[in-house]
Amino acid sequence: MTTAPVRPPLVRSSDRVIAGVCSGLAVHLGWPVRMVRIGMVVAAFAGGAGLAFYGWLWIMVPTADENAKRNARRPASPIAPAVSLPPVSLQSGPAPDVVPFPPSVPPPAGEYDAGTAFQPPARAAAPGSGTWFRIRSMRYGKEILLGVGLLLVAAILIARLLGVEVPLGTLIPAAAILGGAAIAWMQLDETRRAGLVDKTKADQAGGWARLAAGLALVVAGVLVMVSGSGSWQQTWLALLASVAVLGGVALVLLPWGLKFWRDLETERAGRVRETERAEIAAHLHDSVLQTLALIQRRAGNEHDVVRLARAQERELRGWLFKDPARDAGQLSDRVKAAAAEVEDGLGNAVDVVTVGDTEMTERHEALVQASREAMLNAARHGGGPVSVYLEVSDGGAEVFVKDRGPGFELHNVPHDRLGVRESIIGRMKRHGGNAAISSGPDGTEVRLRLPADVADNGEGKS
Amino acid sequence: MRVVIVDDHAIFRSGLKADLDPSVVVVGEAGTVEQAVEVIAAARPDVVLLDVHLPGGRGGGGREVITGSAALLATTRFLALSVSDAAEDVVAVIRAGARGYVTKTISGAEITDAVFRVAGGDAVFSPRLAGFVLDAFGTAPADIADDELDKLSARELEVMRLIARGYSYKEVAKELFISIKTVETHVSAVLRKLQLSSRHELTKWAAERRLL
Repeated sequence: MTTAPVRPPLVRSSDRVIAGVCSGLAVHLGWPVRMVRIGMVVAAFAGGAGLAFYGWLWIMVPTADENAKRNARRPASPIAPAVSLPPVSLQSGPAPDVVPFPPSVPPPAGEYDAGTAFQPPARAAAPGSGTWFRIRSMRYGKEILLGVGLLLVAAILIARLLGVEVPLGTLIPAAAILGGAAIAWMQLDETRRAGLVDKTKADQAGGWARLAAGLALVVAGVLVMVSGSGSWQQTWLALLASVAVLGGVALVLLPWGLKFWRDLETERAGRVRETERAEIAAHLHDSVLQTLALIQRRAGNEHDVVRLARAQERELRGWLFKDPARDAGQLSDRVKAAAAEVEDGLGNAVDVVTVGDTEMTERHEALVQASREAMLNAARHGGGPVSVYLEVSDGGAEVFVKDRGPGFELHNVPHDRLGVRESIIGRMKRHGGNAAISSGPDGTEVRLRLPADVADNGEGKS
Repeated sequence: MRVVIVDDHAIFRSGLKADLDPSVVVVGEAGTVEQAVEVIAAARPDVVLLDVHLPGGRGGGGREVITGSAALLATTRFLALSVSDAAEDVVAVIRAGARGYVTKTISGAEITDAVFRVAGGDAVFSPRLAGFVLDAFGTAPADIADDELDKLSARELEVMRLIARGYSYKEVAKELFISIKTVETHVSAVLRKLQLSSRHELTKWAAERRLL
């Protein structure tokens, strides 16, 4: 077994008399071609065994070209291409200074071309030699098992020819059951089998014991049924046998059941995803697509486009990032709603940052109204984006509204203009709060403070 | 200044490239976690502009890129870019090792400034990130007895508040009568606390937002 990997693969050679079988075999075994051919002819006279062998190899063994093609299509490791690929791509030459958008790593096609077809695959797959050997031994293991089975059959046939009494009546059902179980397990593809072994803990002693018990039950059940010939306690025996058979069959059929269950699960998950996708598509259609259509029609008006984009962004954010566990109608929601209103009305971006939150009260309503007025002023006179910061703590609620406009002097504001004086400062004072305005050439900031009163205490911060 | 742009939207990448100052050279681009780790290892840029949401990898997005490039963290700085408002996205990349967070809507000049700031070893906080920090650490200043990592000092709180209110570093410095360098020191200290703190409240705050 350990020397096997250094042999060239068994392929039909292009140096051929009939189908290239003999020369291919000679290369594979390292024997002279002439000897192989003579051996084949001699064997042909031994009851046609050579002919049968030659025909079998002709059918089963690929030509060198076919073999190269098949190998080229196979990734370096058939089970875990994702694991074995990165080393391949990293070895592909020195990285250039400017790295372009790297294409998705292609499977290492052409790793075996016709020229290297006779190289043992083990050598080419050197980086992942650990996995490779395991896969290899598994593959050969299957073939060896098959060979052992065939040899056993041959031995039995020969023994019968020589007159030895073989209990065929016992062996055939046993073989049939073992074969059936093997076929059942082979239904599962490799990853599924690995997952199943993992899931059912079959690699542990208990798992194997259960499997063995199942098989033993099947065998015992069927044997009892086949050989049970009307002796004592017939009914009882038959019952036992049936139960045993059913239990055993159930164990053997377990992989199938699991497979179907998994497929069902996958399908159900797919349906759930499909429903979710449909819901998202519906939402996007109602909101984003409509807005995009509007933006295209108003492409000439920059102000409108920005406003539409901001409004849509806000709506989408609300939909995507809203915490469903949180109650609506909190102070922060109201401040954000006021900011959205200003943004829609005047087209300036109003960014709101909130820390902490609280339930709305009548006094908070006043704070929201004053904030809204401050935002309106900031957007109208500042001209640029407006920053709003809301902080709620045990001590009370504070709102800061900042713009980067040219600024103004409070005492220069005409007395008939009620915006700042009444709607902001007066309103805050009436509700036990205060407002301060600082303005300079770099912008204006309005600070609103609403202390928590006695009744409010304790429910300040959520 | 050599930067790598990591974002799964090619349109955004090219737009950002056009917006950046000519002194910033884009030496690589990537659209997935795997590509990003590879490109960053090959190009070894000064700064990586990293989108928080990325396809590929194990679904970890920008955070996974940073953990995948952990060996380069001493020389390569990460600046997170996002359209997301979700605290879990932002704080996750910061805790993985990003030096700052800005929203994708900011101008080319601002982002260039942020790139230079991050490359110089400073932290870049947007108003929103400052808000998250205040939310996470609470707005009460630390007692002297408290573990340094677990709370913000009174000065750090003031700086964070001003940033959340929309102040630039320069304006913060002017407001608090300190130098810009001192502001940067405070912000870096906050970043360090955000990355290292295992304070009970922060853990709870993070758990509620499924960060841990």
